[in-house]
Amino acid sequence: MKPKSWHLNRRTILKSTGVYLALPWLEGMSADKQAEPKQRFVGGYFAYGVPMPKDDAADRMDHGWFPVGEGKNYRAPAMHQSIMPMREKITFLSGLSHPAMRSTSSHKGADYFLTGADILKTYEKQSISIDQHLAQTLGADTRFQSLVMSSFGGVNRPYRSSTLSFDRSGRPIPSQNKPSEIFRRMFGSVSESEKNALASRGSIIDEILDEANDLNRRLGVEDQRKMDEYLTSVREVELLTERSVKWQSTPKPKIDPTGLELEADPTTPREYLTVMYNLLALALQTDTTRVATFQTACEEAGLTDQFPSAVGMAYSSHKLSHEKSNYADVAQYIGFLNEMYADFIKKLDSIQEGNSSLLDNTLCFYGCATSKTHKAINYPIILSGGKNMGFSHGSHLKYSDDVPLSNLFVTIANQLGGPSNQFSDSTADISEVLG
Amino acid sequence: MGKVILTPDTAPAPYFVKVEPELGFQKKAKLEKAAKNSKPETKKSKKQKKTPKTFPISYDFSGDDFKPGSKVRAGKFNLSHGGLSEDGTGILLSGNKPSARIRDPFAPETGRNGRAGIQPEFRVEMYEVPHDAPVLVRIKASAVPGKDNRLPRLYFELGSFRGAGVTDQKEAANIEITSTESKVYEFVVQGANFPFQSNKSGRPSYLRIFNDYRRGTSKLTDEELPMLKIDWVEIKGNHFETWPTPQRKAILFESSNRDNEAVYSREVISAFMERAYRRPVTDLEIDRKHALFQKLRGQEDSFEATMISTLTAVLCSSNFLLISEPAIERRDLNDYELASRLSYFLWSSMPDQELFDLAAKSQLRKPDVLLAQVDRMIGDPKSRGFSENFASQWLDLAGVRRLAVNPEYFDFKEQTKDLFEEESIQFVHHVVKTNLPITNFVDSDFAMLNPELARHYRIPDISGGGFQEYPLEKASHRGGLMTQASMLFGNSTGSETHPIKRGVWVLERMLDDPPPPPPPNVPDLPEPEGKDEAGLSLKERLFEHANIDSCRDCHAKIDPWGVAFENYNALGQWREGSSDPLVKPEHQKVTIDPITQLKNGKEIQNLDDLKNYILTEKEAQFREAVVHKVMAYSLGRYLEFSDRSAIEAICEAVKKDGDSFQTLIKQIVLSEPFLTK
Repeated sequence: MKPKSWHLNRRTILKSTGVYLALPWLEGMSADKQAEPKQRFVGGYFAYGVPMPKDDAADRMDHGWFPVGEGKNYRAPAMHQSIMPMREKITFLSGLSHPAMRSTSSHKGADYFLTGADILKTYEKQSISIDQHLAQTLGADTRFQSLVMSSFGGVNRPYRSSTLSFDRSGRPIPSQNKPSEIFRRMFGSVSESEKNALASRGSIIDEILDEANDLNRRLGVEDQRKMDEYLTSVREVELLTERSVKWQSTPKPKIDPTGLELEADPTTPREYLTVMYNLLALALQTDTTRVATFQTACEEAGLTDQFPSAVGMAYSSHKLSHEKSNYADVAQYIGFLNEMYADFIKKLDSIQEGNSSLLDNTLCFYGCATSKTHKAINYPIILSGGKNMGFSHGSHLKYSDDVPLSNLFVTIANQLGGPSNQFSDSTADISEVLG
Repeated sequence: MGKVILTPDTAPAPYFVKVEPELGFQKKAKLEKAAKNSKPETKKSKKQKKTPKTFPISYDFSGDDFKPGSKVRAGKFNLSHGGLSEDGTGILLSGNKPSARIRDPFAPETGRNGRAGIQPEFRVEMYEVPHDAPVLVRIKASAVPGKDNRLPRLYFELGSFRGAGVTDQKEAANIEITSTESKVYEFVVQGANFPFQSNKSGRPSYLRIFNDYRRGTSKLTDEELPMLKIDWVEIKGNHFETWPTPQRKAILFESSNRDNEAVYSREVISAFMERAYRRPVTDLEIDRKHALFQKLRGQEDSFEATMISTLTAVLCSSNFLLISEPAIERRDLNDYELASRLSYFLWSSMPDQELFDLAAKSQLRKPDVLLAQVDRMIGDPKSRGFSENFASQWLDLAGVRRLAVNPEYFDFKEQTKDLFEEESIQFVHHVVKTNLPITNFVDSDFAMLNPELARHYRIPDISGGGFQEYPLEKASHRGGLMTQASMLFGNSTGSETHPIKRGVWVLERMLDDPPPPPPPNVPDLPEPEGKDEAGLSLKERLFEHANIDSCRDCHAKIDPWGVAFENYNALGQWREGSSDPLVKPEHQKVTIDPITQLKNGKEIQNLDDLKNYILTEKEAQFREAVVHKVMAYSLGRYLEFSDRSAIEAICEAVKKDGDSFQTLIKQIVLSEPFLTK
């Protein structure tokens, strides 16, 4: 059905004023913690990287990603025009990458973008992602420890991950991709049978653990290791269940879904990305979680590979990413993704929280793990927000190609989670992003 | 935990569609009117109706419309490029017809699903199909054989339109039709396994039928191709032959204690646990789960809901999820453990009733019984589980998935990767099933191909459908596992060959002699992109890469094995001389030089030479490698020093029996490591 014009109008109004959310209860929810501003983290990723003209090319400012000039006086290429009104709250970083994966030549970015692990040859060394590292501390007081989203859903498979988030053992955390389901989990009502099921789940887990503990003593070394793996996963379910039970008695925020296109799916990229980013903003605003990741597309054939249709292009995004001479189309497409992201950043900044904005209490890390054509160096990265956690912006920071991206993660972990001097393969920290 | 779905007391109303396409031709005018009147009604009300109703839906086209390029749409079914049979009782579908432009049988297929040119098809569109229930599909069809009695293939898939021109579908059947008399073919599929339309009520799901006979790389004319004749199609959703379903009755079975909940619940739990744990369960184990049931009974709504929760606990138990062979010291497996070991080895699934019965009678450890069971199990279709999982692990078929094909080098359809994996699985399965010597893994005079894969390899005169055994000619440069695209592509860069990876693969997989891992922080073999490396030949690049004292020694051992594969490009296609015409023009120029020298001084001219060398001078090492791989797979553990003597004895017996693969499997099953924990 062709959307009627008044539908569009209403959505536009809602979007610009942000009135679809009733606020008053918010302050009440966080009364006990009001003294300290909340700390939040959002990790974002887009697929396939950015092919771009050479630094001295004539169309550099039209079709490139990286700004010209360093420090405060940089000029940003056209694809960033939608985020530039936020200039004082964002930082462009160039040069950074994950050392272990620099020689990878294909589409594995989502697998290691937030972990920095060396999975070049095997997946065995996969390790915790920065968001999950932060969630261990930032996620303690919210309904969900973290919110993991992608437009693909699930985890897909090694080297074509559809999740950015990995737990302490390097296991992928399934992502959510259905807007209606994300909304239901965060704000939907809990039925009587769901409550019963949760109570039953507690009893079931007790029984499984009891039984396993009895069995445990009769095993050889190798079998004991397998058994431990099994027990660890049961205990994780136990913790999740405890958390759910604890939060069951706390009413969920009441959100009116009018104006949110909860039935949108990736066949309509603009509508879909808009509702996903809006849900992300709602999750943070209602303090349902303080840690989130969103992978806008998976580097795999499928619906999300057709996102360029949003700007009227019939090519897959993979095909676009191999462009080597005429960059106009790919720049227009990346510009579209940037626009979606910019709307999200602007939205966070438009939401008041205490004396500042939601954006000032949220550090947003966004980018991709390849630039040029599938070259896994010099990642395109934008860092936004987080002023109240010490981050200061307005610059283009340029690093040489050998600086590990994990150095930035050390700084982030330090500012948000607590003292850290190491993340993955970091060699130092990056203090230039701090004020 | 999500919603608990309980079984309703009565079966859901069947959903029924019958399509008789030929009616449209015969009674065109009459039906045109009828269909116009009934169309809005049939779309909506089908679901609520209890009695099956027949809809002869078809109208509105004339014979002239069946010219290539026409597409006639009649709301509930589409017929593209089909024709009416001469006697007027059905429609005819030929296989794919290449469009007039494509004269070269090797030209890449560009059509949907890789079916080149025009694919005549018959498609039934359905609204609001029940998508989590069994579906019965009945098709009345016959064969109109082509030249030399070539027979058509009845293929159908179920799927849906996802919007924006995107469809999603999955193959449901693909069988050869041999009878020229019309017969009814019945298929029951599980709706939940197919991508039916679920949330978009305005968009239809569909069943799509076509003749999967492919011209492939043959030069058959249109007239020589076999035709598939379809008389009618019936689709019945919510197809429950009995209610409650047999699955439910197997769990909540009939019992004289059914009215006594305390007794009956214990009976149900105990029977379910025996199957889940694949062994008899103790009273103590039953007590625990029964106690859980009683605890949950108060907080759940019904007997059935409580039972679902209790059985969930059984399925979360390590006794179900893991194969349990508790032991600290070495001991014999008991009969039930042996039944599981055998069935997970050869079927990748739980034991069937016959194995359980033999275990219960303590018969399974007898060698003659074991051997008879191995024969029976290999003969069973479930043995595909062995071929699939063993081939995947042994040959690292996942390598195909790890890698992306570089579109700057190749025009490549992502689905072709499925064929790469399937070829190797089919090949291993064929060697197992027909009990061929394991030397076929190194070189064979046959290949398992379908027309698309033959096109990829440029093997001429392959037409038909599905994977089949084809004899190979020398000129095809194929034979054995090492010339299969799963290995050749899986160990490339996605653009170029990667001799180091290929070399390591041979040493590790075929000879069980893996080189030590490279030292940390060594960069990958540089790709010949950019100006610096462009001037270097492959051998020069390899030399540069390993030109450090600590590297040279290992690489002298690895690289030559991989260089011998240089006649096969990154996609595993044959190339020779100084250009590779199958790569895009800007990358065609390449020096192809497979001549190499092994570390022991042996000169190798090309891959044929290397295969020969393995089969003659490395024969024993290869045999032991295969025994080692199959044995480790069967035991689910790394082999130890104590397994040494068993391996030697097996190798001896296998050699004596002409290297038969089934002998190898049987010898493993009879060996001490297999029978003990």
